[in-house]
Amino acid sequence: VRAVQDNLPLLLSGLRTTAELGLLALVLALVAGTLVGVLRVLPVPAVPWLGSAYVEFFRNSPLLVQMYIWFFGLPTIGVVLPPFWAAVTALGIYTSAFVAEVVRAGIQSVSRGHVEAARSLGLSYLQSMRHVILPQAFAVTIPPLGNLAIALAKNTSIASAIAVADLLYQGELINARTFATYPIFLAVMVLYLVITIPMSRGVNVLERRLVAYRR
Amino acid sequence: VSFDHLVDPRLWAPLFDLSDPTHAQASWRFLARGMVLTLQITAISAVASLVLGTLLALLRLTRTAAVHYPALLLIEGVRALPVLFIIFFTWAALLRVRDLPLWVPATIGLTIYTSAVAAEIIRAGIGSIEVGQLEASRALGLSYPKTMRHVILPQALRRMVPPLMGQLITLLKDTSLASIIGMAEFFRQGVILYNFWGNPLQTLLTVAAVYFLVNTTLSRLSQRLEAGHEKTQRVRVATAETTAA
Repeated sequence: VRAVQDNLPLLLSGLRTTAELGLLALVLALVAGTLVGVLRVLPVPAVPWLGSAYVEFFRNSPLLVQMYIWFFGLPTIGVVLPPFWAAVTALGIYTSAFVAEVVRAGIQSVSRGHVEAARSLGLSYLQSMRHVILPQAFAVTIPPLGNLAIALAKNTSIASAIAVADLLYQGELINARTFATYPIFLAVMVLYLVITIPMSRGVNVLERRLVAYRR
Repeated sequence: VSFDHLVDPRLWAPLFDLSDPTHAQASWRFLARGMVLTLQITAISAVASLVLGTLLALLRLTRTAAVHYPALLLIEGVRALPVLFIIFFTWAALLRVRDLPLWVPATIGLTIYTSAVAAEIIRAGIGSIEVGQLEASRALGLSYPKTMRHVILPQALRRMVPPLMGQLITLLKDTSLASIIGMAEFFRQGVILYNFWGNPLQTLLTVAAVYFLVNTTLSRLSQRLEAGHEKTQRVRVATAETTAA
């Protein structure tokens, strides 16, 4: 317990890094994911195919491999990212592939009639996307996006593999120094739960609200 | 930024040069050894998680509070933690056990996490069957185990297959995390290989492509499985109808 007390500032700075990683990557994932999701339903040849290639590649290979590509692979072609930003990019792009799937499913859940009505009322494709489809799709996508945010929060721990000083990394360092394995890991566990449990509670509440809203 | 390095044939040669295949052969044999380990850990964890997950789901579904709440706490708690944290914790906790091969903590860690997720999938599958069906079969005189076996589980199982297959793919990807505690599975072999040849980008892209191929094959298989399932189901319904007629 002394080990935890003495090293609390380190653990908290790790928690802070974890939170920053998660939030920045979430912004990237939402922006890139929405873009790719929309690309996947565009009625233009080849574009949806590119979108699904993006989704399939980033979804089906391990995040750790991708993180290594961003951090150790890209410098060989002249793109040098510091560990923190390589981790943000890897986490953001990996998660964006899942976001794209959710966005696509959301868009396709809007009934065809709405699209046809909007188009026949004279709205352009982009206008009907912006004013008719996306607002409706948005509501459907909220709970699954919440789940992705939780998964992202947990995945930030993989950044420790490229020496980003996140919560898990700090925990390991302190453990290696003090050998107080159980107290240290218990503290790290509690700090992770402090992030993820309120998030999953939040998603549950949103889910219930959404069901009520649909009625 | 210069892409010359990316397309430099000398950097791809250790993996794909077929004019002098000795290097490529050695590289792929080295990677294959890692893939065998990766598939072994995946298979063991998958089977163990399915068994433990079913058990946890059943515990969570019981009405006895003393059983229900601990199961619920365990499932939700484990699911809320990063897999890598669980692997590290298992590894650190078992560090004092002498001569323990590294795959043991890796597999236990992955199994702990995956069983909690599987338990939730299984519980949701059972819960998705309407209560009316349970009540109807009970009213028709079937005992609780018989209701489970003949009415609820056959339907629930079909609904569980897609998410469970998805989790299998996640598990296969997560085995790469075992490399962080030093296991020479597929990804780690890739890292050793690129440090030897000095071509990180080329080797890592190849490693990612192999994972991609294995995973897409798995998801194709699962789609086939589902399609096949539906077909046999339809056949069964059809034969039932004809025999009834």
